[in-house]
Amino acid sequence: MLVLGIESSAHTFGVGIVKDGEVIANEKSMYSIGTHGMLPSRVAEFHAKVAKKVIGNALQKAGVKIKEIEGIGYTKGPGIGTCLQIGLLAAKTLAYRLNVPIAPVNHAVAHIEIAKHFGKLKDPIALYVSGGNSQILKLDKLSMRYRVLGETLDIGVGNMLDSFARSANLDPAWGSTVERVAKGGSYMAMPYTVKGMDFTFTGLLTYAKRQIGKARIEDLCYSLQETAYAMLCEATERALLLTKSKELCVCGGVAQSTRLKEMLAKLASLHRTKFGYAPNEFNADNGAMIAYVAEKALKSGHAEKLDACTITQKYRIENAEVYI
Amino acid sequence: MRLLSEGAEAKIYLVSIFGTLLLVKKRHAKPYRASQLDIMLRKMRTKKEAHAMLVAKNAGVSVPAVYATGSDEIYMELVKGKLMRDSAFDRKIIADVGIELAKLHSAGIAHGDFTPANILLTDKGVCIIDFGLAEPNAGIEEKAIDLLLMKRSLSKEFYLLFENAYAKAYANSSAVLRRLAEIEKRGRYQARTIANV
Repeated sequence: MLVLGIESSAHTFGVGIVKDGEVIANEKSMYSIGTHGMLPSRVAEFHAKVAKKVIGNALQKAGVKIKEIEGIGYTKGPGIGTCLQIGLLAAKTLAYRLNVPIAPVNHAVAHIEIAKHFGKLKDPIALYVSGGNSQILKLDKLSMRYRVLGETLDIGVGNMLDSFARSANLDPAWGSTVERVAKGGSYMAMPYTVKGMDFTFTGLLTYAKRQIGKARIEDLCYSLQETAYAMLCEATERALLLTKSKELCVCGGVAQSTRLKEMLAKLASLHRTKFGYAPNEFNADNGAMIAYVAEKALKSGHAEKLDACTITQKYRIENAEVYI
Repeated sequence: MRLLSEGAEAKIYLVSIFGTLLLVKKRHAKPYRASQLDIMLRKMRTKKEAHAMLVAKNAGVSVPAVYATGSDEIYMELVKGKLMRDSAFDRKIIADVGIELAKLHSAGIAHGDFTPANILLTDKGVCIIDFGLAEPNAGIEEKAIDLLLMKRSLSKEFYLLFENAYAKAYANSSAVLRRLAEIEKRGRYQARTIANV
C-alpha cells in the first residue's frame, strides 16, 4: 500500500511516503526558531505556506504521482493546536480529493514504531525523549496500548537543554550546541533526581542556570548533559530489569544525541540487551513515521471517517491503540 | 560469595564470615555514566541507605541489622523469611505491617518502595527490607507515597486494615492521609498505573 503521512505537531512540517512498510520519501521544512522560540500562530502560518511544496517534494522524491497514493495519515496529537490543525486540513483535503482512506496517528506511537522498524526490534522498552516528552514505555499486548513505566514529572529533557542554552546565549539548534560545547568540559556535581522510574529536570535546570557566569560554560554543558542523561539511563535500566525485556530503543528528537546513544549502548550491553534506533532524520519530527503507522492502521482496517478526523493537543499515548 | 539477586542499582550476595551467613548489598560501577558522578551516587546512596536502616533499627522497627558498611557496600543480617508478595497472609499480618510503617514514619523515615515485594514474613513477625530508596529526613509527600504504593498493591479490604493500624500507631497520620488523597487527585496518577512489582 502506498501511504502519505503528514506531521505538523510542532516546528516541523513533514511529509513522508511509505510503500509496503518501507520509507520511500521523507521531506520536511522547519520553522526557524531563532531566538524567539515558537509562536503558535506564526508556526501555523509557516506550515500553511510550505505545505504544498513539501508534499510536492515528497512525491517527486518517491517518484510517484499524487493519484497513485492509496491512503493518508496525519498527526492527531499531542502537539501545538494551531500547527496540528494545518496538518489535519492538508490531510483531509488530500483524502477527500483522492477519495482514499485516512488514519489519525499518535505522534509518540509513531516515534517508537519507526525506531522499532529501523532498529529491527520486536517488543522493546522504548525511551522516548524530545523537547516536550521524556517517557519510558512498553507495549501492553493485551490492550495493544503503550504503557508508561516512567516519565518526567515536570519538563521534557529537550526543553531543559534548550532553556539552558538560551539562558547561556548559545547558538540555536540548542540540544546539539550543548553537546558540542560539552566536549571540552569536566564534571561538576549537579542535582540528580530519579524516583523509581520517574525523574525531574527543573531542579537541575535552575541550578545550572544559576551557575552561568560563575563556572566555565564547557563544564556546565558537560555536567548538565551527563547528569540528565545518567538520570534517563538509570530509570531505563530499572525498567529493563523490572520487565526482563531484552530489547531497548531510543526515539524522539533528543535521540539524535551521540552521547545519549553511547550511554544507552553501554547500558544495554551490561544486560545483554539488543539496542536499536532510527537514523537521525527519523528521530527528529518527520512525516515518514506518520505514514508508516498510518499504513498499518489502514491495512488492518482502522481507517477513520473523514468527518470524525480531529486533533487532540493532549493526546496521551496510553489512549492510542497500536496496530501491528 | 554467592550472587542471590540482581537489581538495577545493586547486587545482593550471600557471604560466610567466621561461619556466620551475612548478606552483602553492593552497588557496582555503572560504565555508562561519568565516573565522578557514578562514584558520588554509589557512595551517597550507600551511606543514606545504611543510615536509614540504623535509625530504623534504633527506633524499634523490624529491619535487618547493619553490621558494617563500605563506600559502596553494606554488610547486613540475613533475615530468613518469605516475601509477603509470594505468601498468603492474614489480617494480623496486615495490621503488623501498618504498625511497622507507623514506627518507621515516626522515626522520620520514608521507605520509598513500600510494597509486598519488600516485606518479609518471618517466624518473629514482619521485617522490612531494601532501604535503597529510603529517605531518612522524609516529608509528608514521601510518607504518603509509601501508603500509595501499598494501596496499589493490596485489595481494598486489606488496604483499609493496613491504613487503620497505621493511623492508630502514628501521631501525624492524618496529615499523611490528607496528602495521599491529594496525590491521588493529581492527573498523572489517574491516567497511569503504577508498576507494583
